[in-house]
Amino acid sequence: MIHTTILSWVTFIYFAAFVFYLFRMILGREFWGKAATGAALAGLAFQSVALALRWRASYDLGFGHAPLSNFYESLIFFAWTIVLLYLLIERRLKNRSIGVFVLPVAFLIMAYASIAPGMNQRIEPLIPALQSNWLTSHVLTCFMGYAAFTVAFALGVMYFVKKTAGPEPGLFIRLLPSEFQIDELMYSCAALGFIFLTLGIVTGSVWAHYAWGSYWSWDPKETWSLITWLIYAVMLHTRLVRGWRGRRMAVMAMVGFGCMLFTYLGVNLLPSLHSYMT
Amino acid sequence: MTKNKSGIWSFFASVQLAIVLLSLIAFFALVGTLVPQREAAVAFAERISPALFSFLQKMQIFDLYHSVWFILLSGLLAVNLIICSLDRFPLAWRRFRMKHEPENEDVFRDVPEENTFSARTDVQTAADAALSLLRRKYRAVERADEAGSVWLCAQKGRFAGFGVYIVHVSILVLIAGAILGSVFGVEGYVHIPEGETVEAISLRSGNAPLPLPFAVRCDKFTVELYESGMPKTFQSDLTFLKEGRVVRTAKLLVNHPVEFEGFRFYQSSYGAAPGGKATLALSREGGARDIMNVSAGYTFALPGKEGMFQVLRVEENLMSMGPAVKIVVRSKNEEATFWVFQQIERIREMNPDAIRQVPMFNPGLFRPYTFVLLGLEEKYYTGLQVNRDPGTPVVAVSALGLIGGLMLILFSYARAVWIRVAPSGNHVLVAIAGRSYKNQPGLQKEMQYLLAELKDHLEKRQ
Ligand code: HEM
Repeated sequence: MIHTTILSWVTFIYFAAFVFYLFRMILGREFWGKAATGAALAGLAFQSVALALRWRASYDLGFGHAPLSNFYESLIFFAWTIVLLYLLIERRLKNRSIGVFVLPVAFLIMAYASIAPGMNQRIEPLIPALQSNWLTSHVLTCFMGYAAFTVAFALGVMYFVKKTAGPEPGLFIRLLPSEFQIDELMYSCAALGFIFLTLGIVTGSVWAHYAWGSYWSWDPKETWSLITWLIYAVMLHTRLVRGWRGRRMAVMAMVGFGCMLFTYLGVNLLPSLHSYMT
Repeated sequence: MTKNKSGIWSFFASVQLAIVLLSLIAFFALVGTLVPQREAAVAFAERISPALFSFLQKMQIFDLYHSVWFILLSGLLAVNLIICSLDRFPLAWRRFRMKHEPENEDVFRDVPEENTFSARTDVQTAADAALSLLRRKYRAVERADEAGSVWLCAQKGRFAGFGVYIVHVSILVLIAGAILGSVFGVEGYVHIPEGETVEAISLRSGNAPLPLPFAVRCDKFTVELYESGMPKTFQSDLTFLKEGRVVRTAKLLVNHPVEFEGFRFYQSSYGAAPGGKATLALSREGGARDIMNVSAGYTFALPGKEGMFQVLRVEENLMSMGPAVKIVVRSKNEEATFWVFQQIERIREMNPDAIRQVPMFNPGLFRPYTFVLLGLEEKYYTGLQVNRDPGTPVVAVSALGLIGGLMLILFSYARAVWIRVAPSGNHVLVAIAGRSYKNQPGLQKEMQYLLAELKDHLEKRQ
């Protein structure tokens, strides 16, 4: 199907964007930076088209649902939001050096979605419990949050890279934003993610209320989303009230990201209503 | 603040406690996803020693989310939130009420170079331009003319300071709603076969069934499948009765619950109900063939008046051999019990000796009749989740507050901006300064923007 083909191209485009960002960081020529941004934008545009086509295809098959219903579709959408958020930040900050840390994540997610064994790429009808507009808003907000947390994580990694540099750092290190800037941005991303995760949990609860009769049932996925939410709440408080900055914030961003990943993927190892794998 | 704070007060007012409590709750929640909970704990019990199991059970490890530990932690968090908010609210209130004077030497003390410019115009023109610019972006703008200079002050986002309180109060409301639900709520389920009526539900907590103050009848259950065989929709037609009178009828679909007298009914499952109708053909040797519709439990006369037969069971799929009906025939001096299979021909094909080996499988056991099962009319039961949770509206309000408060915190912040226009030879000197407790970098950007606008405007007029 055409959208699957486009998506496999997008995977390569993101990889190219990553390589261009890397060239820029190593060679210091802004030409590569512009090429990288162009590639990322093109990848995002193609991916949007592919998502729209997939959506329409589901109508042609007679099911008609947003492309957010199985594991494959969730991965694709996850990568899409990460790149979108990153490009917004790049525009805002006028600094291209974060791309080296974010684009590989998007590329890896896309690659995993295309080649992982047993990945079901078909468009399938929804069982009755999933036929709800709340599902769309739930998945949308959750993945916006996940994307923001992922960028915060990438910034955390970047912070450590910057920090471990010697007294005479190379070009790569010098091109990175200052530790202060990284820290501020990491906090903004975590706060943004926190709002979206809150929205995601609330819309999920409303949906559960309609579909299963209770807004909260301590299902493992629900519980892990709460754990993730609490970790980021702790992160916000340690920063605002205890004044934690820099290294400790970077560690919190990584712990939070770990919880988020477990909420998304690890929970499938536990029995759950939410399992994408079945 | 010169309040004399006791040790307990400052303990509960501290954010360290909040951080510890939030982390502990996260930790307990995590343990709960690793240790089997409630029903799942039974299987787990067989793998550990009885002593250990009963110890863990006493510690409520197998129902962690409803345990004293969890209630204790939520209670402490609530107290922490209340005391912390009370402790800090006066400060927020004072900041909210604070009115800034336009004339303020303090804020202009260390104004950086980039926050000033000079223009070739007179003070009044520059001040008027600055005033109209500020009026466009802020609501309350004050002006003071003093010794040839003009001072302007604008404030914005005063309410943003309450965002944190809205968030924290919402958490309190959330805890209250959850407690309300766990104390007064009911979580149950019921299976209703088509055509039947129930007046009680089973409880998830496993206690005695709960009688309902009304009766529910399932008139009809329909399931629609996709071509692949996956269910597309299922629907129950329900009738609610009080004292035998129909009060309401409703169609119940997945994702579209029905509420009646505080109880919410959700379509959660379905299945084949025992006791559907069966169509039987009775043929007498060399004689007539009668067709009868029968269902389990009922007794019928044989067409030739030799006796009676009773339908004992109607099975969808008996021992993987398809639909079957169990029949007992009684005459004056004989009684025979046997199964009538719909697919008797296929069973014969697979094992020609079946009937000789198992006489119970012989549909002609009572002579001179042979019973033939023509078909089953399927009968479903509908599986309903039945809940009553008086805490739900409370929790919904808390969710709205939580989101509203977070938006307020993220998209707005309290700030005050001053502009001073002072004469300086044949020029005027314009300077901008601002105060914000939370977002100094954001404010600096905003001020740069204001300054650029003003400069642009004044240059164009020349
Ligand atoms: C799950 C529970 C909680 C959530 C979701 C939460 C949320 C938040 C958020 C989002 C902020 C950031 C406000 C801002 O950016 O200005 C904040 C700040 C704060 N929180 Fe919490 N909070 C929780 C529990 C608590 C508790 C138990 C305390 C008790 C001491 C507390 C004390 C504070 C304080 C003192 C601030 C700083 C307020 C300020 O900046 O003036 N929080 N909280």
